[in-house]
Amino acid sequence: MLISRLIRYAAAAAGAAALAAGALAADLKVGLSVSLSGPNSSLGIPYAKGMQTALAYKPEINGRKVQLIVLDDSSDPTTAGRNARKLIQEDKVDVLIGTSGVPSAMAMAQVAKEGATPMIGVTPFAPVDNPWVVAVAQPTQLMVDAVVERMKRNGIKTVGYIGFSDAWGDLVYDALTKTAPTAGISVVANERYARNDQAVTGQVLKIIALHPDAVMTGGAGTPGALPFLALAELGYKGGIYGQHGLINPDFIRVAGAAGNGALMSTGPVIVAEQLPANYPTRKIALEFREAFLKVNHAPSTDAFSAYSFDAWLVFADAAARALSATKAEPGTPAFRLALRDAIHTTKEVVGTHGVFNFKPGAVYGVDERARVIVKLENGQWKLAP
Amino acid sequence: MNWDVALILTVGGLATGSVYLLAGLGLVLIFSVTRVVFVPFGDIAAFAALSLAAFETGTTPPTIGLVLTLASLAVVAELWQLMRRRELARMPRVLMVWGLLPALPCLAAWWVTGRNLPAIAGIVASILLVVPIAPLIARIALRPIADASVLVLLIASLALHFLLSGLGLLFFGPEGSRTHPLVAGATTLPGGFPVSMQVLLMIASAIVLSGLFYLLFERTLHGKALRATAINRVGARLVGIRPARTAALAYGGGSLLAGLIGVLIAPVTTIYYDSGFIIGLKAFVAAIIGGLASYPLTALGALAVGLVESFASFWSGALKDVFVFGTLIPVLLLRSLLASRIEEEEEEIDE
Amino acid sequence: MTRFGSVVAAAIVALLALAPLVLGSFAVGLLNDVGIGALVALGLVLLTGVGGLTSFGQAAFVGIAAYASAWLTTTHGASPWFGLLFALAATGVSACLIGMLTLRLGGHFLPLSTIAWGLSISLLFGNIDALGRHSGLSNIPPLHLGTMSLTTPESVYYLIWPIFGLAYWFIHNLLNSRPGRAVRSLRGGATLLASVGADAFRVRLTLFVTAALLAGISGWLYAHTNRFVSPSPFDLRASIEYLLMAVAGGLGQLAGALVGAGLVFLVKNSLQDLLPLLSQRGGQLDGVAFAILFLVLLQHARGGMMGFVSRRGQGRPGAPTLPARRPVPALLRRSLPAPGTPLLAVAGAVKHFGGLVAVNDVSFAMRAGEIVGLIGPNGAGKSTMFNLITGTLPMSAGQVEFLGRDISTAPQRHIARLGMARTFQHVKLRPKMSLLDNVACGAYARTRCGMLASGLRLNRAEEQQIHDEAMRQLTRIGLADRAHEQAGSLPLGTQRILEIARALAADPVLLVLDEPAAGLRRQEKAALGELLRRLRADGISILIVEHDMAFVMKLVDRLVVMNFGAKLVEGPPAEVRANRAVQSAYLGANP
Repeated sequence: MLISRLIRYAAAAAGAAALAAGALAADLKVGLSVSLSGPNSSLGIPYAKGMQTALAYKPEINGRKVQLIVLDDSSDPTTAGRNARKLIQEDKVDVLIGTSGVPSAMAMAQVAKEGATPMIGVTPFAPVDNPWVVAVAQPTQLMVDAVVERMKRNGIKTVGYIGFSDAWGDLVYDALTKTAPTAGISVVANERYARNDQAVTGQVLKIIALHPDAVMTGGAGTPGALPFLALAELGYKGGIYGQHGLINPDFIRVAGAAGNGALMSTGPVIVAEQLPANYPTRKIALEFREAFLKVNHAPSTDAFSAYSFDAWLVFADAAARALSATKAEPGTPAFRLALRDAIHTTKEVVGTHGVFNFKPGAVYGVDERARVIVKLENGQWKLAP
Repeated sequence: MNWDVALILTVGGLATGSVYLLAGLGLVLIFSVTRVVFVPFGDIAAFAALSLAAFETGTTPPTIGLVLTLASLAVVAELWQLMRRRELARMPRVLMVWGLLPALPCLAAWWVTGRNLPAIAGIVASILLVVPIAPLIARIALRPIADASVLVLLIASLALHFLLSGLGLLFFGPEGSRTHPLVAGATTLPGGFPVSMQVLLMIASAIVLSGLFYLLFERTLHGKALRATAINRVGARLVGIRPARTAALAYGGGSLLAGLIGVLIAPVTTIYYDSGFIIGLKAFVAAIIGGLASYPLTALGALAVGLVESFASFWSGALKDVFVFGTLIPVLLLRSLLASRIEEEEEEIDE
Repeated sequence: MTRFGSVVAAAIVALLALAPLVLGSFAVGLLNDVGIGALVALGLVLLTGVGGLTSFGQAAFVGIAAYASAWLTTTHGASPWFGLLFALAATGVSACLIGMLTLRLGGHFLPLSTIAWGLSISLLFGNIDALGRHSGLSNIPPLHLGTMSLTTPESVYYLIWPIFGLAYWFIHNLLNSRPGRAVRSLRGGATLLASVGADAFRVRLTLFVTAALLAGISGWLYAHTNRFVSPSPFDLRASIEYLLMAVAGGLGQLAGALVGAGLVFLVKNSLQDLLPLLSQRGGQLDGVAFAILFLVLLQHARGGMMGFVSRRGQGRPGAPTLPARRPVPALLRRSLPAPGTPLLAVAGAVKHFGGLVAVNDVSFAMRAGEIVGLIGPNGAGKSTMFNLITGTLPMSAGQVEFLGRDISTAPQRHIARLGMARTFQHVKLRPKMSLLDNVACGAYARTRCGMLASGLRLNRAEEQQIHDEAMRQLTRIGLADRAHEQAGSLPLGTQRILEIARALAADPVLLVLDEPAAGLRRQEKAALGELLRRLRADGISILIVEHDMAFVMKLVDRLVVMNFGAKLVEGPPAEVRANRAVQSAYLGANP
């Protein structure tokens, strides 16, 4: 600890020297903890890339430099909590951003509360009684509601569910069972599988035996393609629905033809170029893509990197207001409090996924403008209004 | 559940079971010769699958870099040993065996990449590419502690798994891949449900391969040498069987099996950089049912695990593995009861 | 503990006590994590290192306790201290049930079964609604002492480390006591333990539960310091990580748990700081770098860090802590049967191994105060006969009566407790334990102190009695001056004599000796003969298998000769020597 702290100081000093005589005023510090390894890394790695993009897109706030510190939580909630402690206590960050996986995000939120440091979550989670935390991701309910509305429009009466046997699978299922009955749709099956299962034949057979009009899937990334493949192979003819967790190019690659025609709810960033010209998030979403390409030398094609980009935008907006509202310097408890209050008074900040309005007592800050329904057609996401 | 469903589940179970079967045989092969429960086995299978996926997309498989790195480390380890023993005269041989030999499949893989060759070229290249991995990592990390207790060897093997899956994440990224089926099309089961030809191919290959494996062990000199080493290490050494060489042979054989598994399952399931662990774990279950010694019992155990898993996923997907491992405990009790009652003293730990 | 060891221990305690004064809050928090991890690793050193039971499921016990306390305190608003009791009860009961089901498994089956239940339990957490399914339970109340709430890392630190210290002290005491010696003998096999009247299964079970309870305390601390629980910190990967800690520290020493946990957390934290400086993708290299460092450690110190240290001359677990010299009454001795009364009667003993008949309808009897020799050519079935008499092997047919009781179907340890003590043809000693401790094992059945009393040092008087008894027996065989050496350092012949001392510590009525003179030199044999005659004079009866004819003929009162599993003849040495059948079958042309 002592040694590693010395190393950190040395590194910080070297970094400062390299940056030449920088700003005299204290830099803002952002602590990002994401899953760069382990089962959640398919979300965590894009999160980190999106954050690097954001740093390049908006490196200064009110003339102050922003330092970004990235830690890996290896998809482990305990490590996520420890990382949050490290970022707060050792690095004295002004804001925490993270992470993939609900349990890990919950662990971070607990520490954020204890350490009186604002946290911007990039995953849909709902910490109870925690005034220090907001989330830029859409609430799962909002996204699933859109899917249910579409099912209703398509005349679906019964739906079978298949999702991950993890927190994400639970969230989507809970959201589905909450609104489906009000739309006159009954949920007839709740099947689960693990991310690295080899097959879901058993689960899918059970669903097919119930003859539901449609199947809703609660997976994410490439492992989320497994039910699509099994349903296609076993000759299921009904509609298949999904949600934003599934949306990335690797899903299309793995699902192949089996994913064709699937309807999913997602943030508008995925189909930014197809949005009407006056859509509020269109401009920033296209700018994000451009910046992403420049920083990561690859096009942005997933929803996750955009979340961390949005988190940065929310932070930047709040920090700018906090800096002008208070005399407190970044790195102090007073500033963190001011920043939290500023985040809670966020008004119409336009991000890639939606338009953000946070208020005290609520975790989420997006509305219907943060969701669209897209259809997978021949390997492309098509806006399906 | 009706008969159609049972039939489909059985076919699915046999398909997964055949993967565990091949992996289980590999584990037993390696354990019986070296006393190492070779956890990275599954990772090597995953590397083969992901290499094949890379060939199909026309990119150079990063596995080449991995193999070359491991080969250079092994050469360094060997040379260091020669220096200490002052046997530098053997240097050309060492360079040949540990440097050039592993580089050959890399060269082949590099040549295959991006050319419009028939699919089989990529498949063969993927299998060959992973063959050096097990012997190399074993040479680097396990041979120096070959006489340690089984527990220490197991822990080292676990560390190797963490190493390989970490490298897998770096090289292949977090998302999974599927490859084109080796045989296209599907056949229809009596109930009207389709079964892909690839699944049938998997089951058939497992039967053929395990048969070959059995013959190899029963009929050839190398097979007999392996078995002799398994039964009595000291005795084998006395009759002139070199344990290091048989170990390398066992690792090579295991690696080859892993490569075959990789290309066989990649078309029917999505393979991730970390898919190997759970395959290895279930194969390990089968191997233990076989007492880490008996090939036929291992095969039986593997198919049983596949079937239980398939049916359990129908009854409760979320608790599938609870079923699999829950039923394991009574099986273990039975096996333990039937196993020889000779009192065994536990191995002492290393200090 | 050696003096050097004590100094080091005192220095570590002092450093730990002062750490929060100099370290930052995060570092203190990290040390808290070390303490919590070290508790689990301590259980693993005990279970795997000492007891030889490899567990891949310890994290499941951590989870049971963490969830139990979290559930009780969040849904029922109970105090975390009440949560501790509930957590320990839940862990203890689960461990007991799992242990009863699986601890009879042998070989590789046992570690696999730990994977099975370890994996299943962590999967179950995510599927129980009351436990918050996969999202877990949050807002767990912090620990409190009186009205003081322990929310800061510094305040919890002074709870976690004293708890670890107490646990360490408890386990250290335990290992140097009667039940501890039984635990340390587990690797020697169930027969060894049964031969001193101990039930290996029960010893295993208590050991298993103890390790689980240590994991339970750790889980309780985890729940109330992290204040959030979810399934994944208790899965197979976490169990493997605890095992890595124990191995990195050294399974051979208790201190290995502390060193290992410290090493793993420190290295991981340093890697997290260092790697990003080296590479853009540093964050992803943590696991790879950790695995490499771990492999390097194993190459250079397969016994872990502590193995490395102890090679440079430090103490081992169970380096004897000598009890303070305070006179204690000697252990009670049983009353021996009067010489000449019937002692042992074997009637029609039969033993099959599959189709092979090893012992075929053998009958003989012996009286108290006799030395009876059992002889016969190699493969005559003598050792099998011994195993039947002592209950080590079950008989296929026949009856054995000892001290007027039918012991034909009695388990070995009951027979041992009746007063039949044995030695083994293939020596069963604990090579890494001192001579004294090996002999002290023999007094197991004569003493009572259990794990709890021993761990809390409430066993001092009894331990001293055992110590005195063991020293008395070592003096009897002439090895008192080497009492603190490792048994493994003795020549094989002398090890056989040491087994006699262990048997004598059980205060036997009948001593059953399997080839005690093998490997001894001439003077040593003479001394052994002298010792056995003295024992007979003290009223102990002896049944002996021996190949050295000269030695047997001079020693015994009567001989039983076996050949091809059957009894050939029985009688005084001179008579047997003269018997034609014996001569042709066994002694050949050299009467």
